[in-house]
Amino acid sequence: MRERRRQSRRTRWLTTISVLTVAALGLAACGSADSTSDSTATSDSTATSDSTATSDSTTTSLVAADSDRLQAPTEDSPEGEITIWDRSGDLYEVFDATIPKFNEKYPNIKVNHVAVDIDAKLQNTLITGADVPDGVFLDDAKIGGFSEFLWDLADVLAPYVDDIAAQKVDVNTINGGVFGVPFDLDPGLLYYNEAALSEAGVDAAQIETYDDLLDAAREYQAKNPESGPIHLEQSPFLGQLQLEMFASQLGTSMADSAGELRLDSPEYEQILTFLDTVQHEDLGTRAEYLGPTDIAELENGNQVFYPWAIWFSFAPQQLLTDTTGDWRAMELPAWEDGGARSGAMGGSSFVLPREGENSELAWLFYEFLMFNEAGYSAVWGPNDVYPTGLNTSIPSYLPAADPGAPLFQPVEALGGQDLWAVATEAGAQIPGGTPLPTWWAGAVDYLGNNIQRMLDGDLKPSDVVSLSTEEIQDNLVDRQ
Amino acid sequence: MTATDHSPKPARTRRLVSWQYARTFAIHGVLLLLMVAFLAPVVWAILSSFKQANGIIRAPLVFDPSSFTLDNYTSMFEDVPIVRGFSNTAVVLVFKGAITMFFAPLAAFAFAKYDFKGKNVIFGMVLVTLMLPTIVLIIPLLLEMKTLGWVNTYQGLILPGAVDAFAIFWMRQVIRAVPDDLLAAARIDGCSEFGIFWRVIVPVIRPGLAGLAVLTIMNIYNDFVWPVVVASSDDRATLQVVLSSLAQNITGNRIGADYATVTGELLAAASVALIPLLIFFILLQRHFINGILAGSVKG
Amino acid sequence: MARLRAAPYVFVAPFVAMFLAFSVYPMVFTVRLSFTSWRGAGDPVWIGWDNYSYLLTNDRFWGSLWNSAALWLLIVPVQLVVGVIVAVLLNSAKLRLRGMYRVAFIVPFVTPLVAVAQIWVVLFDQSYGAINSLFALVGLPEVGWLTTSTWAKPTLALLFLWKTTGFIVIILLSGLQSIKPVLYESASLDGASWSQQLRSITVPLIRPTIMFVVVLQTLAVFQMFAEPFVVTQGGPYSSTTTAGYFLYNQINRADLGTGAATSLLLVVAVMALSLMFVRMLRAEDGS
Repeated sequence: MRERRRQSRRTRWLTTISVLTVAALGLAACGSADSTSDSTATSDSTATSDSTATSDSTTTSLVAADSDRLQAPTEDSPEGEITIWDRSGDLYEVFDATIPKFNEKYPNIKVNHVAVDIDAKLQNTLITGADVPDGVFLDDAKIGGFSEFLWDLADVLAPYVDDIAAQKVDVNTINGGVFGVPFDLDPGLLYYNEAALSEAGVDAAQIETYDDLLDAAREYQAKNPESGPIHLEQSPFLGQLQLEMFASQLGTSMADSAGELRLDSPEYEQILTFLDTVQHEDLGTRAEYLGPTDIAELENGNQVFYPWAIWFSFAPQQLLTDTTGDWRAMELPAWEDGGARSGAMGGSSFVLPREGENSELAWLFYEFLMFNEAGYSAVWGPNDVYPTGLNTSIPSYLPAADPGAPLFQPVEALGGQDLWAVATEAGAQIPGGTPLPTWWAGAVDYLGNNIQRMLDGDLKPSDVVSLSTEEIQDNLVDRQ
Repeated sequence: MTATDHSPKPARTRRLVSWQYARTFAIHGVLLLLMVAFLAPVVWAILSSFKQANGIIRAPLVFDPSSFTLDNYTSMFEDVPIVRGFSNTAVVLVFKGAITMFFAPLAAFAFAKYDFKGKNVIFGMVLVTLMLPTIVLIIPLLLEMKTLGWVNTYQGLILPGAVDAFAIFWMRQVIRAVPDDLLAAARIDGCSEFGIFWRVIVPVIRPGLAGLAVLTIMNIYNDFVWPVVVASSDDRATLQVVLSSLAQNITGNRIGADYATVTGELLAAASVALIPLLIFFILLQRHFINGILAGSVKG
Repeated sequence: MARLRAAPYVFVAPFVAMFLAFSVYPMVFTVRLSFTSWRGAGDPVWIGWDNYSYLLTNDRFWGSLWNSAALWLLIVPVQLVVGVIVAVLLNSAKLRLRGMYRVAFIVPFVTPLVAVAQIWVVLFDQSYGAINSLFALVGLPEVGWLTTSTWAKPTLALLFLWKTTGFIVIILLSGLQSIKPVLYESASLDGASWSQQLRSITVPLIRPTIMFVVVLQTLAVFQMFAEPFVVTQGGPYSSTTTAGYFLYNQINRADLGTGAATSLLLVVAVMALSLMFVRMLRAEDGS
């Protein structure tokens, strides 16, 4: 009985394996140079409009213009329903609250606003074309990966593009097309614990370059030997993001617009050497962004300098209850005298999938949110969700980001500082950028991890560059 | 009706009574310790859901009952379609659960007690289904759904994978242990093949079926990879889909600023999601499983 | 046994129908895809065995298999031992509150991982976590639970154990419940002790169930994805990148051809392992 069972089980395994192998071989044999297409992303080049009064000019312009470029509706009161995807959370609430205002302008457009796990769904939805939304909130880092599924917004953005922060336009520009409506600009700032620093006799306002920052840190440490004044990021992903913020200050990034690696450059060497020095001289606190250690060290005065995106402002406001009010923000130090005093870290845009039913109506929604005063005031100004306004980012639309006309109020947790002025002035200094390569997230396994190893003391800055370049080239770039 | 004792019996000694007390004490001790270990993180999550959202991140182990608030719950009920998530999950549980509970043991019976041509190939299908990670199959499966018009529908949620391969795999195991003489006897009595299944096998494998019921419910409840993709709107989102949309700001890499509030809502949602399931299991426990087990053991 | 009886075919028909309807096309699609390079848009480009040769010579692919294997070693033996003991304890008739324990043990399995991930991170924080504080109290040095490659795996294994042991106990329990009490009674009449009975009656008789659990958990450990995703993001230094997480990354980064190839290689690996276990466990079956 057992013998037979053993045999039948063996047969079973063999059968399964052989079935799969035969299938594989058979397909390999049938497969030829001309690849059979299982392709599913058929590009519907014309966006169908549900509006009743279709004017001739709309139809002809749809046909005449480059069929991948979205055109704005021209009728007076466009009609239809749009599905907008956003991440759930406070931001979702903020956008939701803007819909009534939008409907004041466009009463016949119904907005179906959905909170979605965008990371889990967007790719599959776009690839299979199943129930595609009209507009999606997307991290800038991800836009490159989806550009083939998205509308080229060059034409609709044309009236505004000169007034949008260069870095945001650049990050959305792939092969000459613009694939996202820029949402927020996230300028890097240097957050510092004013109270702790002045108690130690260190004047942060004097800091102009990263060398100055190192000096200030040394000075602080002399008075507080237990401290590690400068934050060193322990999460490989965020560490890489921060690195790119520094690089953005210097007008460079991991890959150029052609997707070629350019880590091997004096700029990256300078940045990595700076980080290595902090580690080497024990001037840093190594922790994961706002993890338990990070928060504790921020609260006890051991960590007093945090070069990070503007959205760190959330910490003194919500998490750092002991030191709330002690913190201030200033522009980042420059890499050399007179250099740019900010770079971009993170940020998102709105994309419009080509297979959406009413993409041009979704465009109207985003146009309202970003370029219409009623829209952007509603997003960044005081509202139910953020009584003093949304102060974790600034608009990328420059007329909205006027240092003299703040949308959000001074931040109490920063001692009543006018964060708006600081951020908008810093943001204006951000050099132009490049789109993020599609393999950006994959690079974390290599560059992100290598930075961590350097911070562990196991790698030299030049090693980080050479190793990462090789690994990224072999595993990511070459396999595109 | 007392539960039948299946445990190894202690050798009879003179110190019977105190030995047994010590033993019971030790058993409870171990189980209690384990219970605490298993429940502690969940209790943490539930208690934390009553804290101010920022406090959850800032001071995770500090609980100040006087500052407990229902804020997370109110904002969760406002923002999150949790009731809808519940009802959709319930629908899927009932239909998919029923399909598996009926057809999987039946198929398992065929594999366990019959020899038929193609049996190995078909069982190979079961195994391959088990072993191929779902995530790879998402795209082609979603394409199929699109062709059938089943995206964001109940059919799309229920039918793919409705006859669970794991259930077949396990039940085959269980049914194999049933003595063949019972089947032979039934056949001699003129029972139909299905009758053998229904009247002989099913009663004997009651404990296994009870276990299968519990596990099937848990697996369907936990199912996330496929539902999140096929349910494109709140209308058909199951609980896990709803929870995942909340969780995305927390999982992976924390970027941006609003993950604290979302954490609060997530814990509230998770707590709410847990309670009905627990009540269900407690009831299932007491009335269903114990009843089934009591009737199952033959001397 | 009749060979041409219709009954078995009818019984497996529903499964086969589902399989044909919903599994065949995706599987063929996947096999086909594994020989192409495809990022989701446009047509897949045929590249033959390229994906396979890339994977089979890739450090990280083998690393992920190794990680899964290491996690397997940390998880499965422990889970079996603990599982069997707990199942046996739960099975003792005189146990009151049995229902309470049973429910308590399955709670982790139905709790969303994200809800408890935070507390895990907090407890195991290197500088401020409760575990290291306890260590400090007894004079042990602090451990980088989630920050060092050495300790991240055991910490994650613990999380997985916490989450799934209850599930395994249920399976083992129903295996236990089919053991006839008569066997125990006669053994104790013969003077066998509790642990002797455990070893010579209980364990051998639930061997098929144990075998089943081993195969099941082997699958689960290799496909493990949620735990590394939520708690460690596969780190530090890819030490917790399981095969399942490795696969997820490829799919998520739209490297779909490679992902298809990875999943097929995974199936082969898991099948080979399962076969090995089944053989091993059967070989021990008294002869």
